[in-house]
Amino acid sequence: MAEKHGDVTRRGFGKTLAAATAAVGPAATAASAQIATPGPGQFGPVVVGNYRPVDQIVMGGIGIRSRGMADLRMLLGDERVKFVGIADVREDAREAVKSTVDGYYKTNECKMYRDAAEILARPDIDALLIATSDRWHGLMAMWAAQSGKDIYIEKPGAMSINESYAMADNVNRYGIVYQSGAQRKNQYAFEFAVGLARSGKLGRLTAVHADTAIGLGTVDEGGHSWWPEEKPEPDSLVFDWDKWLGPCLWRPYNSNYKDRGRGLFWDFHAGLLEWASHTVAMAQWAADMEHTQPVEYIPEGPNFRGDGLIERYTIRCRYANGIQLILRNHSWRLLGSCSNLFEGTEGWVEVGDSGRIEVSDNLKSLVPKKTGRAYDPTAEHLREFVSCIRSRTPPRANAIATCNTHVASHAAWIASQLNRRLEWDPEKRMFINDEEANRMRSRAYREPWRAEALATSM
Amino acid sequence: MAQQTTGTTQASPQPAAPKPAPPKRPPLPTIPPELDALSIWKMGAPALVAMLKDPKSTLFQKAIACKKLSISGGKDAIPPMAALLSHPQLSCYARFGMEPNPDPSVDDAFRAALPKLSGKLQIGVINSIGVRRDAKAVGALAKLLEHSDTDIAQSAAASLGMIGGHEASRALQAALRQTQSPVFPVAARAMLLCAEDVIVKDRAHGLTLYRELSAETMPKPVRLAALRILNAAGPAPEYTNRWPAPTGEAAKQDKSGFLGR
Repeated sequence: MAEKHGDVTRRGFGKTLAAATAAVGPAATAASAQIATPGPGQFGPVVVGNYRPVDQIVMGGIGIRSRGMADLRMLLGDERVKFVGIADVREDAREAVKSTVDGYYKTNECKMYRDAAEILARPDIDALLIATSDRWHGLMAMWAAQSGKDIYIEKPGAMSINESYAMADNVNRYGIVYQSGAQRKNQYAFEFAVGLARSGKLGRLTAVHADTAIGLGTVDEGGHSWWPEEKPEPDSLVFDWDKWLGPCLWRPYNSNYKDRGRGLFWDFHAGLLEWASHTVAMAQWAADMEHTQPVEYIPEGPNFRGDGLIERYTIRCRYANGIQLILRNHSWRLLGSCSNLFEGTEGWVEVGDSGRIEVSDNLKSLVPKKTGRAYDPTAEHLREFVSCIRSRTPPRANAIATCNTHVASHAAWIASQLNRRLEWDPEKRMFINDEEANRMRSRAYREPWRAEALATSM
Repeated sequence: MAQQTTGTTQASPQPAAPKPAPPKRPPLPTIPPELDALSIWKMGAPALVAMLKDPKSTLFQKAIACKKLSISGGKDAIPPMAALLSHPQLSCYARFGMEPNPDPSVDDAFRAALPKLSGKLQIGVINSIGVRRDAKAVGALAKLLEHSDTDIAQSAAASLGMIGGHEASRALQAALRQTQSPVFPVAARAMLLCAEDVIVKDRAHGLTLYRELSAETMPKPVRLAALRILNAAGPAPEYTNRWPAPTGEAAKQDKSGFLGR
């Protein structure tokens, strides 16, 4: 980013320089004018400060479609960011991003790439917005880290326990700022609930509950996996099937994968992490357990069949200090999706995506009179990421917190698939005395893809 | 949406338009029985091994058998899976089944397959050797660092870094002297992994590797990563007299976590 250039590009000096020189002044004015007219309400809140183009963080994107496009619109509204390129295996997605970016900046400068390697090789890009499908997240994050680029990445961050560790190890090794798309960490209702838990208002914390809703039920509706009918592959310039498939096991092409329904296949799905990426992350935060994972996992109920087919489930996990982490898809108070409940000896709080907050009677006076979802937390989450790039501090959904959330969720999923109690050693990164479970910690990548990482214990 | 007339007063809300009927969810596709994995998934390891050996088994059956054997396969599952390492579509399934299997015959099978393969299939086996950290393969991988196919040379470098140890670090040091892009940056990253492994067992040698990686000729992300470790390891030599690191009992009590102490 521009700050790399130095000591002379700090905000104050940039401001002085802009005022003192005609060369910088008009450019800055033009940029401000563009930012001030971001279009008809489709972009995120405009962040205006004393920032000058010389201070801007240069960003690119990989794999941006529906969810990523929402992130992109928020980023474009942030004056601290300049978005310059998109890599995608889909021609229509590349062109949609270019159109959005160029339309916002009123330029024709957003570059398009078919191969992520090309955008990773650009030395002028400081950070990446990565919003590919799940199967690519882990590898893309590792590549970005190895290229020295900061990362905002949609969740889930990894497809397996070992990939979670490999991702976090690479991010830490290369000193990268990483924020996963667990935007509820910047949403008021959830922050409030976490605050109650961490400030002792609930007394001694006994259990943190996470709504992991979908995940088990949608994995492999037809058993562990199946192959739809083979169709002719499209022109790779329009849709590169091999790169879309990426590190996943080979299977014959069918257009349904790219258009809909890939979540039905275990190969493309990260188990519980569709929602656990959010709700287990909040639970770990509330319990002050972001540095570790539960040590015990017990799937409860008669419905675990070992093939992924299940409608109602509870997975009861326990941290070493005795606090329970309970993953379940039932019995919530209907406060919206991605709910969390935190229970202590002196009270409880439950929140969800509606923004409403329910608490035990003794805590009602603490709840704001007006609750509800007043803003999109994604904007705040992205702003935090950009601020952390400038300060070089870890954001709330940093790589270590994300890794530990994912390891806990993957471990719970493995326990459910094996339908038995598992013990986990966070230090050794292994299940205790369960070879089958340990084998399920990883997924071998299809050639030629590889993760450059120190393998965990075999 | 209701019109806002002033800062504090809102016009009465417009009657809500009737909600359109939600789109019908498309029914789940019918799965042809020959492409349904569930029946294969429920088989025991002996039946799955037999399925792999049966010449009449389909591509799909062998693929799912390998997936399930990744969890339940024993030593006897290795040879039939290793036989698929040269198969263009099933090689990835064979590696998927073999990689997590703790039996040492997996390493023997990967090493045996290495010289018989080429292109992407060889790269896949190189990558699996790296994941399994098979130290016996270091010699064979070191030779591949000079391969004319730079993709193979890069994979060999990466796997050497993952295996770690002195022998792998020597091979990578040589590669860093002799290679250029695109192998050089991968070798540099691999050396970073190697150094991370070596410093735990041999601190002095590990720091030597980090010093080499801090050279200005190294890729910037690698150089910065090495410098962070060296900074944490303690002051540079010319400053050691001014800020000596604690020794003896003081060093034992030092909980700073600095590698230099």
